[in-house]
Parts: sequence; C-alpha cells; structure tokens
Amino acid sequence: MKNIKYIIGAVILFITACTTEDLDPTLSENKETDEAITSVDNLYSLASGLYDILTESEYYGRDLIAVNEVRSDNCFSNGNSGRFTTQSSFLYSSSNDFIWDNAYNLIANCNIVINQDLSTLEGDSDYGSYLQGQALIIRALAHYDLLKTYGQQHADGDLGVPIMTEYDGDNLDPSRNTIEETKAQIYSDVETAFDMMDSSYDDSNVFVGKYVAKALESRVAIYFEDWDRALAAAEEVINSGLYSVIDADSYVSSWSSDGGSNVLFELAFSATDNLSSSSLAYIYRYASDDDDDGYGDVQAMSDVFDLYDEDDVRLGILGYQLDGTVLRNMNKFPDTSTGTDNIPLFRYEEVILNYAEALLETGADAVSTLNMIALNRGEEAYTSVTKDDILLERRKELIFEGFRFDDMMRTESDVDYYNSTETLSGTLTYPNNLFAYPITDDEIDANSNMVQNDGY
Amino acid sequence: MNLKLKAMLTPILVLLMSFSFGQEKTITGNVVDQSGLPLPGVSVVVVGTTNGTQTDFDGNYTISVNTGQVLRFSYVGQKTVEKTVSESTVINVVLLEDAESLEEVIVTGYTSQKRSDITGSVVKVDSKKLGQITSASVDQALQGNVSGLAISTTSGTPGSISDIRIRGISSITAGSSPLYVVDGVPVNSGSVTSDDAYGSLSALSGLDNNNIESITVLKDAASTAQYGARGSNGVVLITTKSGKAGETKFQINSIYGFQNNAVKDVEMLTAANRFELQAEAYYNDGYFSSEQEAQDYLLSTDDWAEWDANGRPEGNWGDVTYNKDAPIQQHSISASGGSEGHTFFGSLGYLNQEGTTIGTGYERLSASLNFTKDLTPRLKFSSNNSGTYSTQEAFLEGSAYFSSPRTARFFMSPLELPYNDDGSINEFSGSLPNPLYLVENDITENRFTRIVTNNSLNYKITDHLSYGTVLNVDFQLYNFRNYSNTEYGYGAATSGDATQYDRTNAYYVIQNYIDYNLELSEDHVFDFKILQEYQANRYYFLGGSGESFADSGLYNLISVGTPTSITSSTSDWYVGAYLAMAKYSAFGGKYILDLSYRREGSSLFQEDNRWGDFWSVGSAWNISKEDFMDNVTVVNNLKLRASYGVTGNSDIDENQYQSLIGYTSNYSGSGVAQWSNYGNDELSWEISKTLDIAVEFGLFQNIVSGSFGYFNRKSSDLLYDVPLSFTTGFSSQTQNLGALTNKGFEVDLNFNIINTEDVQFSMGGNLSTVKNRVTELPTDTNGAERTLTTTRTRIETGHTVTEWYMPTWAGVNSDTGNEEWYINGVDGETTTDYNSAASVFQGENGVPTITAGLNLNFRYKGVYLNASGYYSGGNKVYEGWHLYLNETNAYSTFAYNGYASLMDRWQEVGDEARNGKVTSSYSSWQSHSKYLHEGDFFRLRSLTFGYDLPLVAVEKIGMKKIDIFVRGNNLYTWVKDDYLEQDPEVDLDGVLGLETPPTRTISLGVNLNF
Repeated sequence: MKNIKYIIGAVILFITACTTEDLDPTLSENKETDEAITSVDNLYSLASGLYDILTESEYYGRDLIAVNEVRSDNCFSNGNSGRFTTQSSFLYSSSNDFIWDNAYNLIANCNIVINQDLSTLEGDSDYGSYLQGQALIIRALAHYDLLKTYGQQHADGDLGVPIMTEYDGDNLDPSRNTIEETKAQIYSDVETAFDMMDSSYDDSNVFVGKYVAKALESRVAIYFEDWDRALAAAEEVINSGLYSVIDADSYVSSWSSDGGSNVLFELAFSATDNLSSSSLAYIYRYASDDDDDGYGDVQAMSDVFDLYDEDDVRLGILGYQLDGTVLRNMNKFPDTSTGTDNIPLFRYEEVILNYAEALLETGADAVSTLNMIALNRGEEAYTSVTKDDILLERRKELIFEGFRFDDMMRTESDVDYYNSTETLSGTLTYPNNLFAYPITDDEIDANSNMVQNDGY
Repeated sequence: MNLKLKAMLTPILVLLMSFSFGQEKTITGNVVDQSGLPLPGVSVVVVGTTNGTQTDFDGNYTISVNTGQVLRFSYVGQKTVEKTVSESTVINVVLLEDAESLEEVIVTGYTSQKRSDITGSVVKVDSKKLGQITSASVDQALQGNVSGLAISTTSGTPGSISDIRIRGISSITAGSSPLYVVDGVPVNSGSVTSDDAYGSLSALSGLDNNNIESITVLKDAASTAQYGARGSNGVVLITTKSGKAGETKFQINSIYGFQNNAVKDVEMLTAANRFELQAEAYYNDGYFSSEQEAQDYLLSTDDWAEWDANGRPEGNWGDVTYNKDAPIQQHSISASGGSEGHTFFGSLGYLNQEGTTIGTGYERLSASLNFTKDLTPRLKFSSNNSGTYSTQEAFLEGSAYFSSPRTARFFMSPLELPYNDDGSINEFSGSLPNPLYLVENDITENRFTRIVTNNSLNYKITDHLSYGTVLNVDFQLYNFRNYSNTEYGYGAATSGDATQYDRTNAYYVIQNYIDYNLELSEDHVFDFKILQEYQANRYYFLGGSGESFADSGLYNLISVGTPTSITSSTSDWYVGAYLAMAKYSAFGGKYILDLSYRREGSSLFQEDNRWGDFWSVGSAWNISKEDFMDNVTVVNNLKLRASYGVTGNSDIDENQYQSLIGYTSNYSGSGVAQWSNYGNDELSWEISKTLDIAVEFGLFQNIVSGSFGYFNRKSSDLLYDVPLSFTTGFSSQTQNLGALTNKGFEVDLNFNIINTEDVQFSMGGNLSTVKNRVTELPTDTNGAERTLTTTRTRIETGHTVTEWYMPTWAGVNSDTGNEEWYINGVDGETTTDYNSAASVFQGENGVPTITAGLNLNFRYKGVYLNASGYYSGGNKVYEGWHLYLNETNAYSTFAYNGYASLMDRWQEVGDEARNGKVTSSYSSWQSHSKYLHEGDFFRLRSLTFGYDLPLVAVEKIGMKKIDIFVRGNNLYTWVKDDYLEQDPEVDLDGVLGLETPPTRTISLGVNLNF
C-alpha cells in the first residue's frame, strides 16, 4: 500500500490551477499594436510595409494597370483564362472590389506612420520625418488612384472618395468627399511631404524619394488640368537634375533591368518575391510563343502597331505570338515565367511629357521639351507641337503602363470597346456612368453613408 | 502553466494518508453466478476500508480481514452482496443478476448513464451500424443514423473530410462543426492539410474505425453544457473498444471491394459536338453567312483539319482519368481479454483504398492497445493508445485546377488525344498539359501520423467517493510533398519545382475530478462530479519550395538549384475549465433532475472577457415506472424529458481580439511590418440557449419504440465577422453581434416486428427538420442593417443564413435565342441585360432542412440482410463552374469543354431550348437561378447480405464465429432535380465543385472470431 502514496503524490503533481494568465496566447509573428512602435526603426519597417501593399496583384502588381489598359484603345481581353473580359467590355458590376480594399488598406497603414508622434520615438527624428513624408506621398497616390477610379469626374457627378487621414479613427462610416475636397487633400499631402523630406535620405528608387512628391503632383495636376501647378511641380523635378531620359539604344533593354536614370520610383520584384502567374507579365503574353499557354488575356489592339514610325525604338516593345497572329506587349515587364521585373510607377519621361503639356496649355513653347522624348526614340524632331502630338507621344511612350485610359478620360474621349475576338461591341460616349467604377457591394452594405455611383 | 497545488484537492491527500490496518485473518472463497458458473473479476472489498481484492479466473479469492468486518462482493450486472465475517474462514457467494443494472449504459460525456436516466437528447450508434459503411473515417457512418444530423462527403478522394452540422447552422462566421471527444477527451477534427487546394485529409482518418465501440451524439444543452464553450454545435463522443476479463478472444475482420462513381458522371461534349457548335457559333456571331461556310472554314484550320484527316477521333478524357473498379481493402486483427485485475484490447489494422480518379489513393497502417489494470482493488489505471500512419495520394482538387486528373474530363478538349497511336502518352503542347503524364511523373502526397495516448488513474476513496486524473496527448504530424517534373507540364519551364512542408499539431489535455455518490435513502440518490480541465494546443509549421533540378525524379529540397521560398510559423490556443455536475434520481429513477455548470476560459478572448459561464437543467419523468402504469401492459416504457441550458461557441481563429502589427511580408529583400488585425477588446463567447422537449416510448414490450422531440436553439452574441467600411483599412472585425434561431422536430421510430430464435425482423427510421432564421444583425451608426451579400448569397434578418440571392432566370427567348432574366427578380418583364435584373432571395441555403434515415434488418437463422438509406433535402445547391462548363459560350465549346446537355440550345426562331444560342465569345460571371437546383436526394447507403455459419459447424474447426457477407454502399441514388447533373451530395455550403464524387462500393467481407 505504500506505493499508493507515491502514485498519488505523482498525481498531485499534475494537479494545477488554471488562471487567466495561463490562457495567454503566444504571439510569434505578430506584436500588439500598442507595443510594436517605439522607435524610428519600427517606423521604417511600417513604411516599408506600404510598398508591399502596392505590389499586390490586385493593385499595381497587375490589376490597376491591366484594367486601365483593357478599357483603353491600347488593349482588349481575349479571355484566354477568363480574366479582364468584364472590364474590357465594361460589364463590371458592384460585386467586384477592384482596388477599393487594397487602396484603403494602404491608406490605413500610411496613417499609422503619419500619425506617430516622432518625439516619443527613439532614433533620428529627421529620418522619422522623411519616413512620414514617404507615407504622405503614398497616401496621396492611393487617394488619387481611388479618385480616378471611383470619382464621378467623367460620369457627370461631383462625388469623390472618402478622405481618410486617421489611423484607427472614430469615423467608421465615412461619406464620400467631393472631387474637389479629395483633390485638395492630395495636393496638401504631397506639398507637406515635399517640405518635410530631406533628399539626402534618398538612396534607392524602389522607395519613394522627395521628388516623387512633385512627380505625383504634376500627374494629378495634369489629370485635373491645373496647368500652373503641373508646370511648377514638373519643373521642380527637372531642376533637381537627378534624372534623365533614357536613350534610344537602351530603351527596350532598360525594361529587363532594374533601376535606371529615368526611374524616380519603381516597385521591387525579385526571384524570391514575385507574383508568378498573377504577375503583369503573365497577363500580357502567353508563356510560350507558339501556343496559348498560361493566361495572356491582355492583348494589344492590332492597330497599335501603326502608331509608331518604323524607326521608333519603341516598336521593340511590341511583338507577335501564335505565328504572328496576336500582337503583344513583349518587352515591358518581359519576364513572363515568374514576373521578376520591377514595375516603374514614376518615370522621368512621364514628368517631361507632363511638363510639355503644361507648357503648351500655359501658352509656352513645348517643342524642345517634347523633343527630349522624340529624339531619344528614333523619331524625327518636332518643329511645332500640338496637344494631339503630346497625347500621341504619351500614348506611344507610356503604352501598357496604365496611363492611356486616364488620358482618354481627361480629354473627354468616347470609348470603343471590343469583345474577346477584337470585334467592336459598342461605343461609350463621354461622359458616361461606366467611366466611374462601381463601389463594391461590401462597402455599400457595411457603410450606409456610402453613395453608389449611378448606374450600378 | 504554473504548478501550484490546488487547495480544493488537499483533502484527498489527507484521506489517503489515513489508511488503517487491524488484526488479520485469511478468508478464502468462491463466487459464482446464478447458473453456477464461476465469476472472475468480482470485486471483494472490506467495507469501510481500502482493503480489497478480486476473484481470479475460477472465481476464487483470498483476503485478510478482521472478524466482524463486512465483505462486499460486487460485479457489473449482478446484485451486490455483503457478508459479515464470522468464525468461518470460507465464504462462498452466489451473485444474482441485477435486471435493472443490465439496462444499457451510455457514455454521455464526462459520465455514463443508464438510458432511462438521461434527460437530454442523446443518440448512440453502435459498432454494428458503424461497420456497415466502408470508409477511411468513421464519421461517414453517421449519415442516416442520427436524427438532426446532416452530413455530407466533401470529396470521393479517400481520406477526405465530411461536413457535419447537428441541428443546423448556429453561427454566421464562426465554425458550425461539432466537437469531437475520444474516450472522454476533446480532440481536434477537421482537415489536417494546410492548403485546401490539394483537397482535405480528415484528422478522424487517424483513428481506425475497427477499433471504435460506439459513437454517441449529444444534441441538446443538457448533454452538451458540460462541454461549455464548444458545446453549441453538438458533440460527437467516440468510445474505443476495451477488453473484458476472460479468455483471450481473437477477431479478424477483412473486406475487399470495388468502387465506382455513385452517380453517373456528367457527360461532356464530343469533338463532333464541338465541331457543330463552333460552326454554329461563328454563324450566329455573323462571321459566316451559313453554318456550312463556317464548317468549311474550321476544316481549314490546323486542329480541325488534323482531326478530319485522322478520321475524326474522339479524346475521351472522362474515361482515361477514371479509375474504374477502384479496389478497396481493409483488414484488422484484434485480441482482447484479461484476467485478474487487468483487461486489454489490442489491434492491428490495414486499409488500402484507391480513388476513382486515377493517381489517387489512401493507405493506412494502424495499431492500438487499450489496457486497464487494477493497481490495487481501489486504484485503477487505464491507458488507451493508438498510432496510425497514413499516406494520401492527393491532387489539386480544391478548385478548377487545369492540371488535375479529375478536372481533365471537364477542361480537356476532346480534340486532344490522350494517347499516341503506339499507346504511349501523348505529350501535346498547349495551355493544358496531358494529365496522364503528370499523374505518372508528378507527386502530390499527404502523409499523416497520429499518436494518441490517453492515460487515467481512478482511486476509489470510499465506495461513494472517488478521485481520478486523466492525461491525454494527441500528437499529429502532417507532411506535404509536391513535385512537378522537369520534362513536361508546369515544372518544365523551371526544370522542375518542388514544395514540402511539415505541420506539427500537439495537443494535451489534463483532467482531475472527484465523483461522489450520496444515497440519502433508497428514494433519494445523488451523484456529484467536479472536474477541472486544461487543454493546450500548439501548431508548428515549416515549409519551403524551390525549382531547377539536375535530373528528373528528384523531389527533395536539397536538390533544388533555386530555393524560392521558406516559411515557418507557430500558433497556440488554450482552454481551462471547471465543471460541476449533479444528478438527483428520486423514487427508483421515476424522477430525474440533472444540473451542470461549467466555467470556461479561453485564450481566444481578451483577459477581461476570457471566462464564460455555461449551465443546463435537465429533467426526466419515467412515467412507466409509476405504480399507476403497472396495469397498462401495452406501454412498457414512457418517458418525458425536457432540458434547457446555455452553451457557447468559440470556433474562431486565434488572436482575433488583439490589434496586431504583423511581420509576415517582405519588400525588396527586407522583412516589413503591416497592420494585420483590427482587433476587438470586447470579443467574447457566442451564446446558444437551447430548449429541448421529447417523449420516449416503448409499446408491446418494445415491439414499437421511439421518440418525438422538439428543439429550439436561440444563438446570440454571434461571433460575426462584421463587415467594416474598407476605409478603416479592414474588411471586417470579429464582433459579438446578431442572433439566429434553429428549431425543428425529430422523430425516431423502431419496429421490432419479429423476434424469435430463428427469425428476426426489425425496421427503424428517423426524420428531422430544422428551420433556420437570422433574427438580428448588427447595424451601422445610421441604424441600417449590415447585411452580407455575395454574388450568390445574402445574410439578412428574416431569412435563412447565407440564403441564395441572385437574379431569377426567365429562360431563353424563343425569338432571339438570348438568355433572359426577370427585371424585378420575380416575374413579368424580362431583360437580356443581366446587370439590370434585380437580385432576389431564392429560398433556402445549402444546408438540408429535412434529413431522414431508414434501416431494415432481417435474419433467418444464420442468413441476414441489412439495409440503410439516407434522405436529405429542402436545400438548394449551386453549380460552381457553370461559366466554364454549362453555358453556350466560347469556354465550353472553344477553350475547355462543356456538358453534353448544352446540345439542347436555341438554333432558330421558335426553338424552345434550355440553353441560349451558341457564341464564339467569352462571357463573364453571371450567377442566376438557372444554375440553382433543388438539393433533395435519397441514397441507399448500405445493403448487406450475409451468412453467419452455424455455431456447431464453426466450433468443429475451432472457431467461435464465421460470418461472410456481400455489401453494397451507395448502390442507388435518387435525385429530385432533373437538371442537376452532378452528384447531389455536396459540401454544406451548397456549391457543387469539381471534386471526385462519392463512390458506390461493392465488397465481400468476412468476420472471424476464435
């Protein structure tokens, strides 16, 4: 019987009381928000996280660019994998969330960085300001993306998108701000950013540097025809002397290497961090030239080839697949198998084109500015410049990068759209409800202050 | 976990220390039953002491006692006898059968109870019924055997999980699956795979079904409140087999069979069909002025010209990817027995099952040992141990994956020929590689090892007081391996690619309890239990992938040229609980009152909201035990029972309450931080309040027996992923908001029609209904209800949760050939513009509202016939892939392949057709009621015809039992909706996928006992 005592003793060792603390879960790849931000280094990690959101396939990783291209006269969807046919035929409905969720998620993350009180953080507070400036620029970009996608500027309305400037704020059901209010917020953010950023911290073009604030400002100002602002902003970038237009010989090859003197900011992708089959490259062409492997839904319109002079180096971007029957973007984002190419969001050439257009619109001479592009592309020099010249040059230079639909909108163009076999399905006259994307049902359901765009 | 002693248990120590011993003399004796046979294992105890022993194999015992002390002889099923020790040194005893205690005892959770004492809704399924279904995991055998339980196979791939809902869906976004308890210990169920794309592997497949004695399903609050926060969705108790004292018995079960699809697979378009449809499409689209012209054009294109030149061959992908007559075999051998003071049950098992899709299969090796030992007459040790090792040959079946051998039948064009003329595999180029090559050269494999060890000690302090402790460890190791070959298919571009990962799940549970039985008098008997429980669950995940191999056939990551990813993660959750249960049985069990209370804490909630209180009250009135019923001979059993209680649900992901910065992404080569979780400090338990009322009866000595029941479960504070405005940065936040109800009736009826020695015939059945309604949803600041709408479903008050919600199809316009929808969603004016057709509720969701089971058992001497069937209905199911497979667009006729039923299409003015005119363009996703079908079906689950050889003959060859049988599972299926072409048994979300369908199995089996 003595053994029993030992056994019971052993049993008693197992007897434990369970307290509330015993039930604390472990955090291994997360930290509680209250405890996670104590230094400028922490702020750097959060600011870097913003770029990762931009690279998402639903955002700049693919969809934002592809959707704008298939809605324009550059491209259509051949439906090879069923992708982008609804956008190409303007059949989208409010069940799709497009960039709404990604862009606001990005803004919320920007606001965590922007709302931090630098005086409470350890480390170099000037660098802290610089990081907050990055977040302001990215917040402005996200608001601009939302505004040009969902705003009613081309649908005969005046509603913009909700402006969000507070992290974990109290306003859980925001209403839409007007187009003017949204635009004002964007301008204010880029101005504040430009003032608070010290360009000596600029060290990589896969992060947003000081002059991206001005490049973005010029882009937004062109879109809203604020020509003086566009002129001034573009001039700041040009006068910085930091960037140059890429030359004719390097134009095509520059797309298969990262960086370059013409890149203000590009999104980083690599062999270990890429979107593989969800990448832009994979949607622009079949994996193999001979058959319709992979996706390859976004196909160039056949007449795009005719935009270029035969000596234009940019023809090298185009190519054919399937025995010469399918015209393709072959050389922007050329790594089809895994999509490891960086995606430039701000190129110096765009700033030059913005500047040229602002010059023209403000009554100045744009010839030499536009020739900075033409002469570096194998074209003959312009001797005089019209608005159409600039728009055509923009289209040729920025093709497949997601600019064309915005240009068509701001110039109040009607839009022809095509079915999967490149047959004309119809024409949408400007302005049109379909030029403002529907706000996702999920938002409408969650937020009764949200007003849907007309026609959805 | 801290290790401080629990004050409440200190008295036990004191009790244990006060053993006393007096002057001794030795008594010997023999114990027999009323027929004079010796009884081994009878407990012989000196009353009031811890002194005791057991009778040996021949019923003999020896014990040292003092004169004047009382010896108590007790044995299960026999009346206890007490003898006072006098001068004699020999005391022989005859134990009489105790009719009352022979009443069936059912495991009801932390306790076991006699059937007449049970106050809740409890259904037991014994091993005989469980054995009628041949399957890798035991839960499938519950289909049709438990009223109120809807169960659905998610895939015919062996080892896959089943979806189970007990009495409907009680939550909107938290889990609705029941809790599984094996031998008294909560375990995890569900799928162990971490990537749904590769199908599922049920944790339950880690238990050999041959080792399961019974399954008990607990449905109401009185029976599930003891499981507190995890009781709302019902509890499935699994009891494994144990040995009995006596000579060692051996049992061999062996079964061998063949499987085919239970329902004929969807017929697809042939190449000839496609030729006709493509030409017609071109003509319809205006490319050609006649169909003949279009056909001539087609024949001038490469593919069709080749087809024509080769004599118009047909590539039948359905046939070549179908593993016809897929074999299944299951064998087990067990030994059980015991002698003085110990029992054991040991088994070895083997299961090998091929899937009906080529290249799929499942193999399992299992072993178990259940052992009990009386360390002293009062201290009992038991240990249940099992280990299984299984391998599942899986494939991409979670969605419409092109390379999968199952989807080949849907997506491969019949113009592509599977084989070359010489019989070798055709390595054609094109966007979809030949799956036959991939099946032979690629690898997708799940390996699963599960080791469960459940150890307990029970110490009988006095005859009325006992203390016990349980320690259970459940270790699950899951390995996944995927490899795409270097030569052909998706891996060729990168010289092969491979992914491997391991997931380790370790669970342990500690329980300590005290049982106390108080008999105030014969008429007032109380049973008390207090219990403390702690459960810890830890997951660890490690995986990596890479590409570029030096040679074919290599798949380990050490051989890759380019590692592409590596990842690891950990997570954990903990539950702590205190439980008190009391049972009052008055006047010989005429009146029963059951009380239970559980206080439970969970790591899923913030500290201040971590603990929840759950309780239940149950009562039963055994009317047939009343004196006034003595003369009512027609009624042999009549019982009324009612229960009410509060249970909870906490089936959500870990760490939801915390606002978190996550470190799981990277950019430009550096790890980054992102706001990953919105958090909610207020998060707490989801609460269900269940009322359950039933009458149970037995008439004419149980010739007719059964029960009628009603339940009403109101769930509130629902754990609801409340949609947030995306402007917050998040799409949803888990909150406790909203309410829903499930109510219904359950009927069980059994007829024991003939019960003679030679002939037995019985029939039984059950029918249950459940009606689900959302009664409350969260509102936003303007008071507007936050409904949740998808392209197919909507959650709104007054409707079934996730009720189907979409435009209503109005048919094909016989003048234009266009598909049309009702503008108002109901009737009247129609439109060809899908976006201008209103979405409306289509009634019901994917969960059956009526389920029924039927069984029939007939036996004449040794020959027997058993049958069981399952009916499920009242729900609607939706074709998940109609855009690609069942619409007259370019997907089904040009790119992939369509259902043969698409031939019923509009061709010219006046045609009344199911499908609109064919087009050569691609259309986009448009969900509407054309593809929503009634989900009702009936299935003959099993039909067994067998012969139990006469005992006389069997004994001659030294056996105790030889039973040979032929069995068919799913031999017949009736489907209500004519337009439902796929198998109607679908996940309970109601969306028909492209998984391997359920199988029809015909098998031959034998049971041998010796």
